[in-house]
Amino acid sequence: MILTVNNVSFSYGKVDALHHVNLRIKQGQTLCVMGPNGSGKSTLIDTILGIHTPKEGTILLDGKDLSQFRREEIAKHVAFIPQTHGITFPYTVEEAVLMGRTAYTGMFRAPSQQDRQLCQEALLRVGILELKDRPYRELSGGELRLVLLARALCQKAPLILMDEPTAHLDYRNEMRFLEILCQLCIRDGIAVLLATHSPEHAFYLESRGVDTEALFLKKGVPIRMGRPENVITEDVLADVYGVKARILSEDGQRAIMLQRSL
Amino acid sequence: MCDEMKRLPYGMALIAAPVLCIILSLFFGRYTMDFGEVMGALFTPAQMPSQTAHVVWQLRLPRALAAAFCGSALAVSGAAFQGVFRNPLVNSGVLGVSNGAGFGACLAIVFLGGGLSTYVLAFVFAVGAVLLSYFAGRISKMTTSMSLVLGGVIVSSFFNALISIMKYMADPYTQLPSITFWFMGSFASINYTHFYAFIPMALGIAVIFLLRWRINVLSMGDKEAFALGVDVRLCKMLIIGGATLCTAAAVCISGTIGWVGLVIPHIGRMLVGNDNHRLIPLSISLGACFLVLIDLLSRILSSSELPIGILCALVGTPFFVYLLKKTKGGGWQ
Repeated sequence: MILTVNNVSFSYGKVDALHHVNLRIKQGQTLCVMGPNGSGKSTLIDTILGIHTPKEGTILLDGKDLSQFRREEIAKHVAFIPQTHGITFPYTVEEAVLMGRTAYTGMFRAPSQQDRQLCQEALLRVGILELKDRPYRELSGGELRLVLLARALCQKAPLILMDEPTAHLDYRNEMRFLEILCQLCIRDGIAVLLATHSPEHAFYLESRGVDTEALFLKKGVPIRMGRPENVITEDVLADVYGVKARILSEDGQRAIMLQRSL
Repeated sequence: MCDEMKRLPYGMALIAAPVLCIILSLFFGRYTMDFGEVMGALFTPAQMPSQTAHVVWQLRLPRALAAAFCGSALAVSGAAFQGVFRNPLVNSGVLGVSNGAGFGACLAIVFLGGGLSTYVLAFVFAVGAVLLSYFAGRISKMTTSMSLVLGGVIVSSFFNALISIMKYMADPYTQLPSITFWFMGSFASINYTHFYAFIPMALGIAVIFLLRWRINVLSMGDKEAFALGVDVRLCKMLIIGGATLCTAAAVCISGTIGWVGLVIPHIGRMLVGNDNHRLIPLSISLGACFLVLIDLLSRILSSSELPIGILCALVGTPFFVYLLKKTKGGGWQ
């Protein structure tokens, strides 16, 4: 599976949101998309999902134009984990995760026994099988993220788009999420587009042997793209975020020490 | 396999319960009959006194059937609207159906002398109100659930004003009471000519029943439903269309009974949870049972027949509170 975003531009009315974005993600790879608030990370995800139609450029999945795909065909290839998830009805964890099987379920049908099996596997994979029958409203923020991840895994898509999945999580839950993400990339060969506020995620994934790329967006314009160690530099952080920061290295992993705003 | 085996008796119970309620309702009323007479009238009407057969076949049965259909239609459309609009507080009237129908009925009562025209105009204006809500809530090509609900609120209040004008114009001795009673709801004057209303109800119920699992996915919000692989526009249109047919037809024969569409789905959720795959069939069954029994009560409680709109709330509320306490709200707190 290779996703290619070719020279894609998009604007909300007159406001440019994406400006000639080019990128490629292939199996087992994680692309960390970074940039300040409003830089176009979520817009990029929405455009790949097909919610927005690009004003210019094409998005290709294995060489085929994504806009020609039927809705459920896209869902079979691209799964999505939202940044925020509003809970209206207190579905059980299992019911919520089963919704990942929508694309494989006929319009007038409900998930089958086999779908339930896949749901169990997904829950086991992210380590929350014991929560299966709990109303998902009662879960903690970290557990809810894992439910959404399990739902995406249930979708059996080779590419998962994640919109700031670790926002609002404490350190431990953040680590747990990243560890599972590493496994998915390395063991299962899943491709991930990770929109994140934390460039350290890219350093972490790289240090754990994940094939990692980093992309910086600034007001919809791609600034730099490449290996995290080449792209995430003190100069780029100053340019993109307007902060003075130092990049340290310890035990083969890089870290960022913030010093002051510019 | 085990699941399949459990499902069959459950499904049978869902069908059997309203049928039993309907049969039960045949035994009671002002014209007293014993068990044998009712059974005789049901199965061998030709051998029974014509009056007995008439009461069972022409009065009680059509009434019970109409109550069952309306109850199902209102409950299922309430559940569907709650799911699609991601709002557990909306009822079947969310898109202005009730007030639209009310205005249609007023028009017919004031200008056309009531009768069959009441049903026809109520239905036409009920559907019209939903279409108006849709266009009022349509913001630049996009129709979000929020804007649709907002459109419904606006259109409802518009028709409410029109209803007030009609009441103001109506003859206070004959027409005004008719209007008032119409709004309280009653199945008293039902006969088989009203059964045309069953067609849109059955159609709407069928559409929602078939799409019931998709309602779960739609309740995740447009964006997530889209990403999960649902054709959101088509799905929403079918479900809202089905629910509109249901409520418009139900309201035009039963008057406005808002309570059923709001509360029956919640009672269902307390019993089987939030999964619409189980909730929708249960709502259909519960709604039918509930309204048949309420109509039965209205017939036997007093000789002048309490309007069902009143009874629904009076009987239903304590029952709802009891369930709320007993099931601890079913995960809502």
